Amino acid sequence: MASNIEQSLFFQQRRSKDELIVKDPPKFDLESYIANYAGHTRIDRLHHIGSHSPYLALDAYRLAITEAKKGKNVNLYLQLVEELSGVAPQDPAAMTDTTWAEKKAQETQREQDRLEHELKSYKNNLIKESIRMGNEDLGHFFYDIGDYSNSHKSYMKMRESCTSNKHLADMTLRLVYVSVAQKSWLTVQSNLAKVDAAQLKGEDKTKLEPIVSACTGLAHMCIGNFKEAATNFLGTSPAFLTTEPAAGITWQKEVLSGNDVAVYGGLCALASMDRSELQAKVLGNSEFRNFLELEPHIRQAISLFCNSKYSACLDVLEGYRSDYLLDVYLSKVLGTIYGRIRTKSIVQYFIPFSCVTLDEMSSKFPAAAGITIKEELEQMINDKTLEARLDLVDRLLISPPTNPRHDVHADALKMAETYDHTLRLRLTRLNMQAAGMEIKAEKGSSEKMNAGMSERIGEGLKGLGSKMSFS
Amino acid sequence: MIDDHKHGIMTVELPTLLLQFQPEGEELKSRQKYDQAARQFVKQLDNVSAAHWLKEADTPQDVLEILNPAVNSIAYAFTLRHRIAAAVNKKSLPDSAQPGGALWNKLVLFLETFDPVQMRYAGQEWKKLVDYVEPLAHNAGSPGLAIAPIRSAMIRLDPTTGTFTSTHVDFMRLCLETRSYAAAEPILDNYIHSLPSHIPTVVREGFEYSVPCADVARSGEYIHRLSGHSDKVTIIDVQEYYVLGAMAYLGLRQFTKARHFLEHVLVMPAANVANGLMLEAYKKWVLLSCLVPGEAKNIPRSANATAIKQVRSASKAYEAVAEAYTHLSNMPKLKAQINAGAQTWAEDGNTGLVKAVLDSQMRAYVSRLSRTFSAIPVSNIARNVGGSADETAQYLETLIEEGYLNARLEQTDKPEAGIVLRFYLDPTQGPLAKSEKQQQQALFEQTLRTNALADQVKDADYRLTLTKEFIENLKRQQKRQGASGDAMDTAWDDGIEEEDIMVDL
Repeated sequence: MASNIEQSLFFQQRRSKDELIVKDPPKFDLESYIANYAGHTRIDRLHHIGSHSPYLALDAYRLAITEAKKGKNVNLYLQLVEELSGVAPQDPAAMTDTTWAEKKAQETQREQDRLEHELKSYKNNLIKESIRMGNEDLGHFFYDIGDYSNSHKSYMKMRESCTSNKHLADMTLRLVYVSVAQKSWLTVQSNLAKVDAAQLKGEDKTKLEPIVSACTGLAHMCIGNFKEAATNFLGTSPAFLTTEPAAGITWQKEVLSGNDVAVYGGLCALASMDRSELQAKVLGNSEFRNFLELEPHIRQAISLFCNSKYSACLDVLEGYRSDYLLDVYLSKVLGTIYGRIRTKSIVQYFIPFSCVTLDEMSSKFPAAAGITIKEELEQMINDKTLEARLDLVDRLLISPPTNPRHDVHADALKMAETYDHTLRLRLTRLNMQAAGMEIKAEKGSSEKMNAGMSERIGEGLKGLGSKMSFS
Repeated sequence: MIDDHKHGIMTVELPTLLLQFQPEGEELKSRQKYDQAARQFVKQLDNVSAAHWLKEADTPQDVLEILNPAVNSIAYAFTLRHRIAAAVNKKSLPDSAQPGGALWNKLVLFLETFDPVQMRYAGQEWKKLVDYVEPLAHNAGSPGLAIAPIRSAMIRLDPTTGTFTSTHVDFMRLCLETRSYAAAEPILDNYIHSLPSHIPTVVREGFEYSVPCADVARSGEYIHRLSGHSDKVTIIDVQEYYVLGAMAYLGLRQFTKARHFLEHVLVMPAANVANGLMLEAYKKWVLLSCLVPGEAKNIPRSANATAIKQVRSASKAYEAVAEAYTHLSNMPKLKAQINAGAQTWAEDGNTGLVKAVLDSQMRAYVSRLSRTFSAIPVSNIARNVGGSADETAQYLETLIEEGYLNARLEQTDKPEAGIVLRFYLDPTQGPLAKSEKQQQQALFEQTLRTNALADQVKDADYRLTLTKEFIENLKRQQKRQGASGDAMDTAWDDGIEEEDIMVDL
């Protein structure tokens, strides 16, 4: 069946657009996986899985459509149904329920009118608290129908009528939540910073901390700052798993689960830290252990890396590649993360050797898609991640001999020459300043400067210049 | 002894007068005395009328025959100058003043042998004599003959040739015109450490160790605005010197030095504007940044940012070339850029330089390979750059010979590899290797240079303290401090002043 679906119109279109399709079946079970999530992210994840994995497409779309029908987002429903009909036209769920859609559309329109009307009357009455709640309701509403930019706007309008720090924090968290849905990570980051800066005290603050650090990690990961992401994920307290809803949002269900923190944190750490750091900050981190226990293979991969068993580590990770590609946040950055881990493994592997044959390298690190080990090593050497030289004649990877004494001498000489030259430049300036020499603007010509400059170059000079020859 | 003959100009015969100043004489052992005597002597000779100088010319009693240019340099300079002036003023130039003629030979002999200390006092004569050389040589159709005498005159007067004079610019113009780049090198390699400045008379005269004839005197002290050795020097002159110097270095293919010279133009003080020479310098500098391997491509920090911005916006085509140059994997791009701007290069007179940039890209490509490979079959390189293996091997051979690559070509027995380019990984091996001794020697020489330079900087700093502006600013500062002190006296809580009063009590 899966091959049928892979050949379906929808996936053919994706292929023609050169978009990602995960062919291998993932290791996880869809039902239990998705049971971890609620709210927007549930549909979002189902949608992502459905559109990327031919293997799970049917189930995922069916679940997503059922889910969508419970909500108010008519457009999302229509989109899901259309995509499913591209995957499996005969499926009963692929029939558009037009009556529901029309009814729902009218309902939401009525609700929007009502909420806007209410807000107007609150504004007339000038009761701050009511205005705040009116805006909040409107924000919730827009969020539900999938109009995130209006939702963002409504939440922003709450600011002027916020009367307590808690209100401010709640509002900012809501903004974070909306921006996560929009996948606009820079906004997420700036709002998280505001949450952090909000003057919350005591329990309120401790309650928010895990949420803030987990979300900061997520935002960093999605824009490719793996080091910062790792630090934030590793600093997330296990309280995140059990924390109560904040601002009406159950973060560990509606944004990212504890398992996600373990996977994201572990991968980001692998991509950005060296062996001793991994040992100390990941494996030796008693807080993060609570997360790692949820995903034992991540823990395994990290210990393998720390024990210099790089190919085994890469094998473990490779086994989960399809799983992670089906993760809505990881899928975009997974290639980079895996690439970094691979490069780091190669660098670490090569450190104790002075010379390795290319064949040995390619057996230890089976070549990735479309690129030979020679090309990969060449690239790594060129961008200076690997300090080595390639011998293409005897097919060797050679660690160049170092001669610190010679290098120090050469560096010293170079530095002295640079210093000498800099000093001469300064001397020229000093002398000219002392003599009162300065390039001054010619009267009234400052605007025409650029235009006229090339013509004003001394004719004599021009003549001389053209006479220069290099034979 | 000169005092006795103060009013004796008309009564004393010229030869006698000219021999009065004897620099080796016992009486002039004291530098201060020498200074006075030399000044006096120059003043006296200034008052001799032109007709006197021409008496007995070309006879056995000719003073030019009696005087020794290396010993009686001041006297000789005056005589020679008047003779040449007379010759030049004639309707047709006499043969003796032509290159090869008697007068010309005397002029050359003088410029090559004069006593440098005496010439510190006769700046105007020195300048005029030097200025005669070029027109005379030009007139004879061989301006190149002027180079050696002028250069020798400059070096004799100031062995460091580091005090900038208008002669510097004239000399560079002459060298470029005659394409004698190598001839300019001895002057160019000496950096400019001083500009003729205004030194107050009090500082200039009267001190044993700061008189111009003092052994320790630096050229910045005897070549100044009033010494007559140079015309008034403007910023354009200084800029032109550096641009022309850079062009001479280019002619010698000394790209690093050329680039350094241009940087002098870029850092010149500017009131937030650039001028044409700066633009010219910037354009060449951008191209040179490609030719000088491994150097930082940053503009020197002390440059005026606004001025640089101006020249940059006017040199877009050049920056595009520099950018294309870095794409070593896409060589046709550079070629396309260069062809697109052909007219620009021609107008700016940079065609040759642009061509050099194009030629060097291949070299850069090969030397980048040394960072990645320890050995690579030549056929691989040939495939990447498009050419036959034999051609490439030949090209590589020349690169190794010219010292661009620390590598060797070798023949392998593996048929698929053929000729192989093998780089030396250890910097102490191969044709470009430097032994520790060589390195040490280089470091030692550099230390000497840097120390000398540091002294020059100190001198420049000292001269700066002699300027009017500095002193006025100092005065102002002192006044301000004084004023604030007065104000404090009336303030009620001035602890220190009160304590002073207590002490007085």
